Amino acid sequence: MKRSISWLIIITMIASLFTGCSKETSGSYEDVYYSTFSTEYKTLNPYNLSSTAAYTMVANSIDGLVENDKYGMIVPSLAESWTNNEDFTVWTFKLREGVFWVDNTGAKTEYELTADDFVEGIRYIAEPKNGAKNFSTISKVIDGLYDYYWNLADFDDGVDIGKTREEVIASFDDTVGVKALDKYTVEYRLRSSTPFFLSYLIIELFYPVEKAYLDKVGENFGTSMDTMLYNGGYYISTWERDKLVVLTKNENYWDKDNITVKELNFQKVGDEITGLEMFQRGELTGCSVSADQLKALKGTEWEKYIYLKDKNTVTYWFTMNFQSKNPEFQTFANNLNFRKALLHGIDRVKISSLYEPNNPAFFIRNTIIPENTLIDPEGVDYTDYPNLKPIKDTSPYDPALAKECMQKAVAELCNSDKTIKGLSPSKVDMDNIAAFDSDGKLPVELVLATTTDPIETKKALLIAEMLKANLGEENIKVVVGYAANSFQDEVFSPMNFDLVDDSYSFRFGDPSANLTRLTTDGSLNEGGYNIPEFDKLVEEALAKNDIKERYTKFSEAEKYMLDNVYLMPYMTGGGSYSMSKELPYQTPMGGFGLTRFKMKGAKIQSKPVTTEQYNEIKTQHDKEVKEKFAKGK
Amino acid sequence: MKRYILKRSLQSFVTICLVIFVVFMMLRMMPTSGYFTRDDYLNMTEEMRMVYLKNLGVLDPPLVQFKHFLSSLLSGDLGRSVTVYPKLAITTILKEKVGFSAAFGFASEIISITIGMSLGIAMARNKDKLVDNLGTGYAVIVRSIPSLIYLFLIQVWVSKIFGLPMLFYKNRPESWILPAISLSLSSIAWYAIWLRRFMVDEENREYIKFAKVKGFSQKYIMKHHVLRNVLVPIAIGLPSDFLLIISGSLIIENLYSIPGMGGLLINAIKQMDNNVVQILVLIYSSLSVIGVFLGDLLVVLVDPRIRLSESEG
Repeated sequence: MKRSISWLIIITMIASLFTGCSKETSGSYEDVYYSTFSTEYKTLNPYNLSSTAAYTMVANSIDGLVENDKYGMIVPSLAESWTNNEDFTVWTFKLREGVFWVDNTGAKTEYELTADDFVEGIRYIAEPKNGAKNFSTISKVIDGLYDYYWNLADFDDGVDIGKTREEVIASFDDTVGVKALDKYTVEYRLRSSTPFFLSYLIIELFYPVEKAYLDKVGENFGTSMDTMLYNGGYYISTWERDKLVVLTKNENYWDKDNITVKELNFQKVGDEITGLEMFQRGELTGCSVSADQLKALKGTEWEKYIYLKDKNTVTYWFTMNFQSKNPEFQTFANNLNFRKALLHGIDRVKISSLYEPNNPAFFIRNTIIPENTLIDPEGVDYTDYPNLKPIKDTSPYDPALAKECMQKAVAELCNSDKTIKGLSPSKVDMDNIAAFDSDGKLPVELVLATTTDPIETKKALLIAEMLKANLGEENIKVVVGYAANSFQDEVFSPMNFDLVDDSYSFRFGDPSANLTRLTTDGSLNEGGYNIPEFDKLVEEALAKNDIKERYTKFSEAEKYMLDNVYLMPYMTGGGSYSMSKELPYQTPMGGFGLTRFKMKGAKIQSKPVTTEQYNEIKTQHDKEVKEKFAKGK
Repeated sequence: MKRYILKRSLQSFVTICLVIFVVFMMLRMMPTSGYFTRDDYLNMTEEMRMVYLKNLGVLDPPLVQFKHFLSSLLSGDLGRSVTVYPKLAITTILKEKVGFSAAFGFASEIISITIGMSLGIAMARNKDKLVDNLGTGYAVIVRSIPSLIYLFLIQVWVSKIFGLPMLFYKNRPESWILPAISLSLSSIAWYAIWLRRFMVDEENREYIKFAKVKGFSQKYIMKHHVLRNVLVPIAIGLPSDFLLIISGSLIIENLYSIPGMGGLLINAIKQMDNNVVQILVLIYSSLSVIGVFLGDLLVVLVDPRIRLSESEG
């Protein structure tokens, strides 16, 4: 008996050793933020980031010139103040003095943050050998940058550029529009007038780097915690690849009073189910809840903690193939009435309910540029401009109109015996997506390309059903094609589709972020259309410096695009169900860029935030945002 | 024996070289789009993608690339990862990851062999009795139900019942238990069922019946006759099993978030990280070939009747 009791005591003691890690708290809020990531962070080299996990880590450990505040406004960060010339082509930033880079122990290094570090950052991404993949976002913004890059790239390719590589590199300071005027002043000279330049600065490509250190670590830069330096609110104190990253508060940070959480702890999990389970056991600060999990949590004690996160700036849209290998669809796609039939024949709310069964209408988006993202100086949202407001607010779904448009299209394109004018029977070969004989008659065959992912497949079948029902079985026949491996290789690159949808992110604070990429030779024109009218409008808009005029012109271009149904936006990204102990709306907010991932100002309470509490804070926050923007900043 | 070893070593070397060459060339036949994500297509122009590929060195003729690969390999440089962990030295990746997989693999091998073999022996000795039926039931369940299902249940339920962590933590030994056990479940069944089968077969042989008639005890027969013979088919696979523990387990490592080698090869192939694929293929194929070779030698040790070359004896 005695022996068994002593064993019991020993076991209890050992057990308490393991379970006894108590949670530290300061005041009423917790000090450690526990989170997970499931897509691996490949590298933390700030110029080559590829996943949200990596964004979060870099955003919190390195600062740029400016950042977002919790209302989404751009506020000073490493730059204390800035000025720009009249036509917005020269921007000068005055840096905060006495900021030092720290290493992975949090100790101050000998390197002070100076204007040169910002020049070196641009020099780094301008070297093709460094392979900064997002380079094209800013290559045409800074004067001379594009030519510098291509001179080097062409030289490496064996093209005679009349100069040696060394000569090109030596010309950087004279040709590229970034310059350290003195130790704490950096100046950017831009290629054209860019009133929204500040919104570029929250992109990682404008981040600083210490040259002497970069030379020291060479190719290893950013591959481990001791081959990078930090100047942000945190430094990386633990980095176990594919396992754990710990960010610890940087006591040398210029804004350390606003770093409320002392440690950010990210660990890798296999999938999201683990996330929910770990949250319920108290091991995580928050988790997302899938539609299925939501069903399972209904009626449990957890239900009162579930809230719906805001939608984001990612937009889903349908692309039609205007150069389809399928002659029937190609003929019809180039007919406005047919495109309108598709527009009115697809029920977006039904599609959205595949993702969000409870409030699907909330996620509908009919415009290309996201709402609540671009606000003009008078506080008017870009999507509320007269050109776009009606499009934004009206649901295009209208089966009767769809049918009518389809009949008009048929009348315009077909003979009375239902053969399509100008077509004869032929073979359609879209590799492993679809292959069939086209008879040149109604119904029109439409190849809808999708993946084997269960939700995507469901969505495709749903759309096929809608089109059949709303446009008439005698008029349209949907062929669903599946890409098994790479959607890019099987569908987009070879243009093996008639209709396809994908999500597109928004990159910086101007409508041009997506609209210039949608011009006839832009990288988002995946359907191969040719619309000189739209290109012209975009070009005109780009030349406007006055924000109001600029937005008006852009909205005209967008309206042209949407009225003529060259693509069909239908849904927003984001907006998942979540539970969290972190109070919402305390940290920097924004629709794009890196600094929105900062944890500055975060507050973590000991109990999960209730839905009620969430909504209260949200209402208050919305009100404050409205006031801020109405003031005209 | 020496001649045999020499001959086999040469054969092994040629095999490894062939495997590497074939894999290398096949990787070069894949489309270069694998180097880019969907986002890269939306953000990069065609020309920028070409510049990127050029700087990776993948636009050179395959034979030139193979030459580079061999020369840097011979100088001891395993190269750097391209897409999985951009620019990270492959030696660093291996250094960080092999330890985890090897530790769990080794633990699991030991667990499987001890429990699996004991179970197998117990089943054979109690043929058609309760133990045998339970053991068979276990083996059938483990080998027929998709492993993801019970592995996941173990992670969620068993961890809850015993208050164990759901993930692996380096500094919390109690978190090592579930992954090690999960990793062994299937191989325990494998060892048990094969050992049982070989033993039952063996026990029905004439010489065993003869030994029984001679009056040897069951225990003596088991130890000196049955087990020794039964170990031969099992021993042949042991060296490979032990050498390949470093390859890790895709499912278990993913479930418990163990930063081992498990998904590395698959990830590298998916993301076309040719450098990583080549090195891993080199390592795994070498280990397999060596494992088979050692298996042959081990068999000779276990069973002196087996000879590897005719000229001997």
